[in-house]
Amino acid sequence: MALSIEDLKLAILEKATKSPKPQLYIKDFYECDVDSKPRVVKNAANDLVKEGKLMFWSSGSTTMYALKSRIKNEEGAEGVN
Amino acid sequence: MAKHETPLLDQLESGPWPSFVTDMKHQAETKPEVWDILGQLELSYTDRISHWKHGGIVGVFGYGGGIVGRYSDLPKRFPGVEHFHTVRVAQPSSKYYSTKHLRALMDLWEKYGSGMTNFHGSTGDIILLGTRTENLEPLFWDMTHDLNQDLGGSGSNLRTPANCIGQSRCEWSCYDTEECCYFLTMKYQDEIHRPAFPYKFKFKFSGCANDCVAAIARSDIAVIGTWRDNIRIDQAAVKEYIAGNYPANGGAHSGRDWGKFDIQKEVIGLCPTECMWMEGGQLKIDDKECTRCMHCINVMPRALRPGVDTGATICVGAKAPILDGAQFATLIVPFMKVSKDNDFEELVNFIETVWDWWMEVGKNRERVGETMQRVGLPTFIKVMGIEPIPQHVKEPRSNPYVFWQDEEVPGGFERDVVEFRKKHAA
Repeated sequence: MALSIEDLKLAILEKATKSPKPQLYIKDFYECDVDSKPRVVKNAANDLVKEGKLMFWSSGSTTMYALKSRIKNEEGAEGVN
Repeated sequence: MAKHETPLLDQLESGPWPSFVTDMKHQAETKPEVWDILGQLELSYTDRISHWKHGGIVGVFGYGGGIVGRYSDLPKRFPGVEHFHTVRVAQPSSKYYSTKHLRALMDLWEKYGSGMTNFHGSTGDIILLGTRTENLEPLFWDMTHDLNQDLGGSGSNLRTPANCIGQSRCEWSCYDTEECCYFLTMKYQDEIHRPAFPYKFKFKFSGCANDCVAAIARSDIAVIGTWRDNIRIDQAAVKEYIAGNYPANGGAHSGRDWGKFDIQKEVIGLCPTECMWMEGGQLKIDDKECTRCMHCINVMPRALRPGVDTGATICVGAKAPILDGAQFATLIVPFMKVSKDNDFEELVNFIETVWDWWMEVGKNRERVGETMQRVGLPTFIKVMGIEPIPQHVKEPRSNPYVFWQDEEVPGGFERDVVEFRKKHAA
């Protein structure tokens, strides 16, 4: 049986916290509840962004999700040279 | 006065063509940060490496697309491009604008950004190149509230749908591409503005097989207008073309003398299925062999027109990446009625079936065409609930084995191994 939306959100946050990779694809969250449809998982993850608990990281062609505390902010970072 | 020495870029101004370098120098007179774009680009030419850092967490509240983060990796040396984010603005259907609207949009961009643009990006959006993070929200507010214009798609979102000019100006359009594009854009606002998929996803709508938005080459679902009855022929007009009284191709190639019009050479001989011939001074077409390629109609537009039972062909899975190689879309549904009267019901069902399957089966960063290739067309059309048809066959089979599905074999594949081994020892 599929998790409730609130339980699914908790599972997504747990995954985002414990995953070795700080940035996750939406498909990485599917395993949080294999009984939930991909579209339900997507909506739950996007709700967590609206609630300020997750953030989008976009390369321009792909979008990933991450906890704010685990994401690298490029602003102010100095590169080579 | 130039802020940076740019000898390599300056060379690009010496050719006979309009140069983006000249344009950027002109822009730098009012936007000094543009000198830093030129300076960084000059350095990239010297170092042979990009100094842009691509991607980031920037965006506007509530949206998961439409802004692409970009930063200089040398912000102290080139402070004007420390932040240089791209803003994708959804284009109106068929890219019709008023000059008043364009001026207002450019005034906004001069206020909040570099003033640099790209009309239009590959997806179709208006691309505004270069702004700082703190300018994104004010720009978005003014653009949406004062100009009634929205951001487009980026990332793993549905990208801004695009269409040809359709029935607004083209007599060949077999369905209302603008209405279809607008309807689906409004229906799928969530998918456009927030990530939904394993990777990007694009729709494009062309009114006929001339495919003026190149849907078959660059969209995951290409909706291309066609007809299923017969090409309409005006035999009197055919005679006028043969007599040279009507210019071929609507006079489109009249800048050069191509000699007398030759219907055999220019129309009949170029028909890809050889389904046309002249008989008793009349042009004949075996319509059941016609592939609806539009060539004969393009050459003799006053004599030939598409049929009246119109709809669209649905092709799936194009992509055009530079590195991996391009791929045309594969025909899946030869004819589908596409109409606002039933809210494009059949097309919507098709799209959502593709999405449900791809969201589950597609790998990260895998376009739907790549997923189709991986699982094979037979599996894909089975998932889609579509019966195989000859148009799905690309070439004769090269594998001699016939694979049966469990349900196609009487009694299925179930067997009692113990019973089997009593007769056939291992």
